[in-house]
Amino acid sequence: MPSMSLLSMAGCKVLVLAAVTSVLSLILVPAADAQTVTMTISPSTITFASADPDTTPSVAAPSITVTYRVQNNVSGSWRISLLAGGDLTAGSATIGINNVTWTASPTPTFQAGTLSRTLAQTLASGTGNVPLGTTGTVVFRLANSWTYNVGSYSTSVVFTITAP
Amino acid sequence: MKQPVILVLGIAFASLAATQGLGAATATGNVTVSATVAATAKLTLSSATVTFANADPDSSPSIAATEGAITITTKGKTSTNGTIALTLLAANDLKSGTDTIAISNVTWTATGAGFAAGTMNKTTAQTVGSWTNSNSRTRTQSFALANSWAYATGSYTATATYTLTAP
Repeated sequence: MPSMSLLSMAGCKVLVLAAVTSVLSLILVPAADAQTVTMTISPSTITFASADPDTTPSVAAPSITVTYRVQNNVSGSWRISLLAGGDLTAGSATIGINNVTWTASPTPTFQAGTLSRTLAQTLASGTGNVPLGTTGTVVFRLANSWTYNVGSYSTSVVFTITAP
Repeated sequence: MKQPVILVLGIAFASLAATQGLGAATATGNVTVSATVAATAKLTLSSATVTFANADPDSSPSIAATEGAITITTKGKTSTNGTIALTLLAANDLKSGTDTIAISNVTWTATGAGFAAGTMNKTTAQTVGSWTNSNSRTRTQSFALANSWAYATGSYTATATYTLTAP
């Protein structure tokens, strides 16, 4: 009821301003739904098999499928990055994580790179929404070497999708 | 006079709402990456034959192999601080029919870190070289036969086996 009094006191110009405010509110309703990103990685474990460095200078692991979706991101950017938890380690033995590279598809959304334990590396990027069920494929490769000591090495790699 | 004030408040409210609606969204997934490195050993010799030519023992008390130095390439993967060893064992003395030249008359010198000179033996494998940790190495080994007037004429042969061990 106080608003009714205000309108009657201010006249037609106040009514116009009230209408403008209402329009702004309607436009901003969709923005209240923040960007939503989802991602699944499969499989969650990959292994580089032992191989002769002379005949297999680069050891490929089974491919990984990244399934992702981006919503409410009409004109915003999104990115999938990779960050290794550390070098490959087996007790005191280590293999530098920079010996692990990857190739990925489809390009150019996905790109090749080299793992790092200090700086997240871009695996994929784009703008806008990404529909449900969109996938990318990543194949990691280990540069083989006679200098690697015997052992069962492991580390973790974190995939992160961010929008915008 | 109050109308512009109402309008400014409306825009300020709109801007605040937009900022809240555009917060970054993040999702993560972990992958465990493993690598298996198994013990492996590879050995390559530049020549599978070593020949000692006939020579005057007085002028050539030691006969170098005709092939010159043999290039030995060893590649091995072992555990951390594990020892990789290359040994040589003769199957027998040098023989020509019933004549023999003791294999201990064959000696070698070697170049490169981890390799050492030695004498051939038919009962106990002799160490040619050893080192720790996985590695690939290229070294040379030069054989020589101690010459003697006591050797009967003949074409003598013997075989010897290299063994590269990467535990």
